[in-house]
Amino acid sequence: MEEKPFTTGSYREFLESGRIMANRCRNCGSVHLPPRPICPRCGGRSLSWMEIQGRGTLQAFTVVHVPPKRLRGREPYATGIVKLEGGPSVSGLILDVKRGEDINIGAEVEAVVVREEDGVKLCFRLV
Amino acid sequence: MGLFRNVAIVGAGMTRFHNRIHVGKTGRDLFVEAVLEAADSVDKGFELREAEAIFIGNYSSDCFEGQSHTAALISDWLGLTPRPSIRVEDACASSGVAINMAALAVASGAYDLVIVGGFEKMTGRETEEATEILAMAADALYEVPVGFTFPGLYAAIATAHFKRYGSSWEELAAITIKNHRNGALNEKAHFQSDIMDTARRLGERHNMTFKDELEFLRSPLNPFVAYPLRLFDCCPISDGASALIVASSDIAKRYTDTPIYIKGFGQASDTFSLHDREELTELKATRIAASQAYKMAEVSPEDIDVADVHDCFTIAEVLAVEDLGFFPKGQGGKAALEGRTSLDGERPINPDGGLKAKGHPVGATGAAMAYEMFKQLRGEAGRRQVDDAEIGLAQNVGASGATVVVQVYGR
Repeated sequence: MEEKPFTTGSYREFLESGRIMANRCRNCGSVHLPPRPICPRCGGRSLSWMEIQGRGTLQAFTVVHVPPKRLRGREPYATGIVKLEGGPSVSGLILDVKRGEDINIGAEVEAVVVREEDGVKLCFRLV
Repeated sequence: MGLFRNVAIVGAGMTRFHNRIHVGKTGRDLFVEAVLEAADSVDKGFELREAEAIFIGNYSSDCFEGQSHTAALISDWLGLTPRPSIRVEDACASSGVAINMAALAVASGAYDLVIVGGFEKMTGRETEEATEILAMAADALYEVPVGFTFPGLYAAIATAHFKRYGSSWEELAAITIKNHRNGALNEKAHFQSDIMDTARRLGERHNMTFKDELEFLRSPLNPFVAYPLRLFDCCPISDGASALIVASSDIAKRYTDTPIYIKGFGQASDTFSLHDREELTELKATRIAASQAYKMAEVSPEDIDVADVHDCFTIAEVLAVEDLGFFPKGQGGKAALEGRTSLDGERPINPDGGLKAKGHPVGATGAAMAYEMFKQLRGEAGRRQVDDAEIGLAQNVGASGATVVVQVYGR
């Protein structure tokens, strides 16, 4: 695992095996999800892999009623920004939510890795 | 940052922004139309061939029209080969950034006179396709596949802003109402009817009547696009082009007695994905770009008499007036609700109707903001003229704020 380069491809491969892998800067300690080759905070290039557990809280959300073509038929669907335990925030579909009134910022969520036609996706479910 | 010499706008033109009237025209047709109007607007006369270079903002003629390499195409179509022609792509901030590039090129002494502008021909695609093309300006790996659209990203920002500051959708509705009222006074605007007129017209079609704007804006005739944003919180999809004739201060007075100077400008980038921002309720790049522009122009936010800001969605105007320093954080929407940003308010914002009512042909927007400041500061804005406007500002945002460009204009 330590051998994998910090690329978008490595992140996807991990996700396909059901693991959410971030990387951490050995210099300043900041955590990046998805992993990056250069630390955006300090410019450091000495990085290590770090597995993220899937619990987090909702920071912002929307319920999309006008979808892009590739998600046609799925609307209305919820998507949001989740702050994960361990530091990083990430975007993900919020499964099984159809109305904005049914979710709140601060809600606790859990990650689910979902396989779809256009690839594997990080999604969340309310807990 | 000091400049080698000052830079001024001596002429400005734009097509009307609209979704139907430009059917049958391509991006190049629209841009040529805007440039010819800009050239004709120069008080003491200007020949296109006096231009030494062209800077063009365009987001995606590639996807919208199947046409790349548009800078050279435009140079050819303006009859300006072999002059250098440069396309700038920074999503919705494309022509705002092109203005800064043109200003730098003229300030450096490399050129005395250039054409800068932008265009977008968007209506050749269905709404779903256009939504997808626009979403290409967000992260194609980590935002778009999990369902984010542009309305969706700004909607998420709105939920965070509501939660943090207790702001509300009613404040956003006040921005819709104001910008449509202003657009009704602008012959170049996509929508030229205020919200009450719109409510009557759409109501008649559906056998519904509305006692006021809010009743209409809460009705099924204003459906959600991305909760909590509804249709009238979003700018329309429009075709259009805008162009400016930009000259060094050494020669500007040969072309007009009232050039409008680009007194300060700034630009900043931010994390590409919204989720990587420490703070979701502001656009940090606006604060940084504005502080650069204020410093160069030697002005402060209080000195700005009129501003065009990037209200691609109503919540974006809230962020803009806060991050530019016009109102405290959390008070931007309330300022609109209280009429403080109306044409007759203390700080008129988007007198031309903003992106909301004027329209938003992506690549044309930044230079169209400069067009409005040129008209306002010369006292030529007609029914939407802001009294005694001497210093103006334009803020043009790319995508969800990963690019922001700000200019300060003055007589």
